[in-house]
Amino acid sequence: MDAATLFSVLQGGLVLGALYALMATGLSLVWTTLGIFNFAHGAFIALGAYIAWQFSSADAWNLPLLPAILLTSAVMFAVGALMHFLLVKPFERRADVVLISVITTLAASAILENGLLLIWGPRSKQIPPLGEGEVVLGQISLSTSEVILLVLVLAILLGIGLFLRYARPGRIMRAVSQNREAAELLGLNVPLYFAIAFGLSAVTAGLAGVFVGTIRFMNPAMGSEPLMKALIVVIFGGVARFSSPIYAAFIIGLLEAFSIYVVGLYWAPAVLFFTMIVVLLIKPEGLFGKHQRTL
Amino acid sequence: MSDPVLHVKNLSGGYDPVQIFQEIDLILHQGESAGIFGPNGHGKTTFLKTLSGLIDPWSGTIRFHGDLMNREGERGSRKWRNFNYDAVTRRRMDPKKVAWAGLIHVQQGNLMFPELTVDETLSISSEAARGRDGWTPEQVRDLFPRVAERRGHKIRFLSGGERQMVSVAAGLLSAPRLLILDEPTLGLSPKIRQELCDAILKVRKTGMPIILIDQDVGFLEQIIDTLYLFDHGRISGRMTREEMPDHDGLMALLFGEHH
Repeated sequence: MDAATLFSVLQGGLVLGALYALMATGLSLVWTTLGIFNFAHGAFIALGAYIAWQFSSADAWNLPLLPAILLTSAVMFAVGALMHFLLVKPFERRADVVLISVITTLAASAILENGLLLIWGPRSKQIPPLGEGEVVLGQISLSTSEVILLVLVLAILLGIGLFLRYARPGRIMRAVSQNREAAELLGLNVPLYFAIAFGLSAVTAGLAGVFVGTIRFMNPAMGSEPLMKALIVVIFGGVARFSSPIYAAFIIGLLEAFSIYVVGLYWAPAVLFFTMIVVLLIKPEGLFGKHQRTL
Repeated sequence: MSDPVLHVKNLSGGYDPVQIFQEIDLILHQGESAGIFGPNGHGKTTFLKTLSGLIDPWSGTIRFHGDLMNREGERGSRKWRNFNYDAVTRRRMDPKKVAWAGLIHVQQGNLMFPELTVDETLSISSEAARGRDGWTPEQVRDLFPRVAERRGHKIRFLSGGERQMVSVAAGLLSAPRLLILDEPTLGLSPKIRQELCDAILKVRKTGMPIILIDQDVGFLEQIIDTLYLFDHGRISGRMTREEMPDHDGLMALLFGEHH
């Protein structure tokens, strides 16, 4: 492997890692706060991409990309919060809420994906790229859109991390995720913070969808493969803290890029799953996991 | 005469389908404190969780300063058992509304928020008070100097006693008009226990009504005006502080002479 190939594999791995990090963060946000797994997360990814396309495409409303992304985030937050009240809230006091929410979120995923097909049709679409041209650093040249993507994803993740650490609602969300009963007894509005967590998670999914839509063609089922990868990331990394899925995402992304180069596209998932199994055999709580789960 | 602080009438409840306690009557007048004494595993904690709305009551009423805290009427248990209770019926009680009214429940052996620092926990509690008059952070720090010393530490790293102090402090900050303390001194070393008891006594002396569950008759005597004996999910006796026998006497009342 020469330097140029190594660099392009590395670059592909970082982009994949950034996308996985964004998806996995949203997934683990809901998992750590509500204790349920959101199978509609993949559909949220597709929904975000389609909404952004509607706002930004020359065939639709033709807004510039930045306002389109901001509007998409707002819509996704509302959708996420609504989904919490429809899919999880009615069952939250049942002992089998985990199982029920698997079914309700799977149902929502099917409804959303088919709804996308109904509204926007089966034709493949693409969102305009984040940037054009190339950035040249010495002997290395990178595509501008990938650089922007990496920077944006890191900025978003940093923003969410700072929000959880220092902002008032973020701090309360961490408290709610750590001890729901104690939070209720202090008079904190727990359902509201659950809805915020769900909304934030939908925003990250939607943004991930937008970024995927700028580099690949979109279809309503575009979220299911990334959802699988995000799941691997969450299990592989563990959810001890907010940052652990992020590290895991970059490890998985780079591993995937290198295994595609070495063993080819078809065997790359096998390498990922094999690595995951080995990690889980050695560290059942995930690479960075601890028994206590928290934001 | 003004409304009693807390008036519980004919309250029954438990974890569906198992009934844990039944027909509890309890009244707490302005400026008074009450104690609950009884063996472990007889439903005291479940009763308190029902008072604070964590569990829906099955029947009966809870009035706090005259305001009804739960929805009245029998809970339809049998008929609705095969339905999703929460979707078919409204919840009968909302813990956050109970807390906003000022009924603050400090749970037994509460871990609080293990990954938050003491300071973060206390500031969340003040925010939860939503502008109602509570204790100020300075007052709480004076009350628990031991907690103030460890303000930057995560709660996970505190000792059991310090954690219990943080729970009580958090309760005080969230603007209580009635403080329910569920075995605050359980399993603490004598020195820490004494510190916590002194602090609770100081809180009591500010005129704060307290409902205290404890196994230590000497401590109960210092805090309370009325003692309720809790046995097999029922109130089996009620006595004023003056009528209270010593520990052996209470055990005899609960279990007969030869316990």
